[in-house]
Amino acid sequence: MARNPAWMSAGLASLALLGTGATLSYYEEALPTTLNPLFADTMVDRRSQELVFDRLWYHDAITNDLKSRIVQRYEVAEGGQALKIYLTPGVKWHNGKGLSSKDICFTVDALLDKGTPSPLAEGYRQILAGCDTQGNSTAIVRFTRVFHNPRERLGFAVLPASEFSGTAVTPDHPFGSHPVGTGPFKGQKGRRGTMFEAFGNAHHGPALSQLRLSEGQDGSILVRALINNGMQGIVQVPPPNRPELSASDEVALKSYDLRSWWFIALNTNKGPLKDRKVRQALNLMLDRTELRKFSIGVEAGAENSPCEFISGPFVQSSPYYNRAIPVVERANMARAEKLLADAGLKKEGGSWTQNGSKVTFNIGMLATLNAEATDILDQIGNQLGKGGFDRQVDKVRADEWARRVTTGNAQEFDLLIGKWSFGLVEDVNDQFHTRKGSEGKLNIFNYSNPEVDGILSEYDQARTDTAAQDAYHKLHKVLSSDLPYLFLWKLDSRSAWRTEVRNNIIAPYYYFTEIDGWKYSK
Amino acid sequence: MKRWWVRPLVRTIAALALPLAVPLLLTLLLWALPGDPASIVCPPENCTGTEALAERWNLDQGPMHFFTEWIASAASGELGASWRMQAGVPVADLVYESVPNTLALIGLAFIPILLGTVLAALDVIHRRLDPVLHLLGLFPAVILAVIAAAWKVLTYTEFGGETVALFLGAAVLGVADGAFSGAVTGTRSVASAERRQRYTGVGVLRGETELSNILPNMTPALVGQLRARILHLFSGAVVVEVVLKIDGLGDLLWQAALVQDFGLVLPVATVFACFSALLLLAQALAEAAVATWIRWSPSGVVDGAA
Repeated sequence: MARNPAWMSAGLASLALLGTGATLSYYEEALPTTLNPLFADTMVDRRSQELVFDRLWYHDAITNDLKSRIVQRYEVAEGGQALKIYLTPGVKWHNGKGLSSKDICFTVDALLDKGTPSPLAEGYRQILAGCDTQGNSTAIVRFTRVFHNPRERLGFAVLPASEFSGTAVTPDHPFGSHPVGTGPFKGQKGRRGTMFEAFGNAHHGPALSQLRLSEGQDGSILVRALINNGMQGIVQVPPPNRPELSASDEVALKSYDLRSWWFIALNTNKGPLKDRKVRQALNLMLDRTELRKFSIGVEAGAENSPCEFISGPFVQSSPYYNRAIPVVERANMARAEKLLADAGLKKEGGSWTQNGSKVTFNIGMLATLNAEATDILDQIGNQLGKGGFDRQVDKVRADEWARRVTTGNAQEFDLLIGKWSFGLVEDVNDQFHTRKGSEGKLNIFNYSNPEVDGILSEYDQARTDTAAQDAYHKLHKVLSSDLPYLFLWKLDSRSAWRTEVRNNIIAPYYYFTEIDGWKYSK
Repeated sequence: MKRWWVRPLVRTIAALALPLAVPLLLTLLLWALPGDPASIVCPPENCTGTEALAERWNLDQGPMHFFTEWIASAASGELGASWRMQAGVPVADLVYESVPNTLALIGLAFIPILLGTVLAALDVIHRRLDPVLHLLGLFPAVILAVIAAAWKVLTYTEFGGETVALFLGAAVLGVADGAFSGAVTGTRSVASAERRQRYTGVGVLRGETELSNILPNMTPALVGQLRARILHLFSGAVVVEVVLKIDGLGDLLWQAALVQDFGLVLPVATVFACFSALLLLAQALAEAAVATWIRWSPSGVVDGAA
């Protein structure tokens, strides 16, 4: 008798589910705003959606290899401008229907439909051209051009065609609260939390039966609740609460790589910051080691530090990071002052002036960053103040950041402290390309440099990994000298889980990619 | 007073206007705020489809279009669905599951207030207790709610204790911001003013009870006070529900406002307005009933008999 591997996997998954019954409760900094992947806005959204949906391709948390749970095999087609996808048989949606090529093409069509008001979909419209089905289990996904890494471009979550009446998907669709995915858990968003019920499938066999996500409140109360086993995990532990947790034998602190880097964007179109020398001086004025010590609590020379300095727009583990460019760890005031003097600034009474008037910087910061690096805004303000600049500091709410800062409409600021997080693709073209048409969509201060634009085009046209790496290495070098940003660090976050939670591998960025292997028994 | 009907009439008109005025005011506020909800979901600089979304949510043709479309739907019983907070969930469902919690909270909080009113009307609460009552009433609802929430979290952990939260919330609402002390002292001052009236003394000399004489005259004032206290409980309920995590209307309104979910803010605020309107109508009816009663009794009084 021929054995169907899909049925066997589903059976094993069901057995695994029968074996456990414990509910794993954990805290996030907020509740997800939506469970519809098309409208993911926060990291909480992305982490929660990872439990409910399968992305077409994902990075293995251990080996970093590109993998897929729902694609059995693929072929590059149409001269590199398409990918022919053969689906894994036996994969079921949470509503019991089978995953088919129609669902893949529906997802692509929903992303391409201009009636889908989603910034995420907008990004995919630059990449995807269309999709055709060939039978029930084969789909051909077409790209707008040839990419050197086409599978990396297909990191979107697959949606069920049967749950929608058309490809124009709106954020107020009930799917956002009661989604249907092929992921390891069925999700349901409530007012006080989100529940995830395990769903055995051909490609998933979660050992946990239920997950309960709640919104965290005061850090010290969370810590007490975790130590007293009132719940089992905190996804992001605020720095001041880490020492107490690390002292507990019942809790393990784990590193969580957010694939993000921190920066200070400089307004290259305003006042003295137009001058590259002034920007270079500011770069030398910052003592990153001190900043890290006082805001994150990492001492100089600490081993296994969660905070790693960077000199360009990539994390150090990225293949795009140019290791030839050194990081600036300590301030060099003498060099900074020389550069400022060369730029025509004068120091009068301890303050820098330009054309007779004091230079004052209006510094803003994404308010939510304070939870990860306490008082970082004031620390940076103080260092610049010590260097001779007057400053005015202001925190920017997350919604205002999305509405005004990333759209290039916050030109009243001189410096903006923020961070960028990257999922599957470390594409920084939107951050540094001149804002024009669909280019430079995330260019904060509308920075424009023809040399940079040229390098970004080189990256776009790269057909091999090496060519793409060469282009971005060059970009790293140019940006570290022109400095539209002062690059600070990559900061890993820390999660805390009770020791009863075992085998809990935390995947970079999406966190729950390897949730199938997590185990918990009281 | 010859024109006794003026006050009930004004209250009735206000009650009818309130459920329209509140959403209108909120609509104007929505337009005054920077950035519209469609642009927040889909910033036009980074995303196409903003206009389609604005059209879907009736945000594309100005505040009056938005308001009239919403009122027309609401009048036909269609409150729409949540835009963001509980995306796609019908507002009616969310309101339906929240109303019992809010009514239970306010109902429980109203018990000490009603008790204080009755005891003060009967003059059985000694004035020496007033400083204690005033001291209790000095605490604002938000402070007492935070203390109650901290106690609840440390006692029950974050999960469970929903009934405890309800009783704690009711206790907070019933005491905070002078709710209980105000009920006692307010009723007592109205009652003692009536007791000092000559007609009360005459009634007592006639062998009638003091309460039966003063009650008709103090009822309109007491009804007014009680209405104000219930409204006060409603507004306090928002704070208490948010802090103590009670799934009521106030918490729903707060959470929806935080994410600019006007598809939810508008109907929930209107439900609050409807409750307020019902209280106004009840007060108008009570005033009209008392006025009618006074004019029809005592029976057998003949003109010019005095």
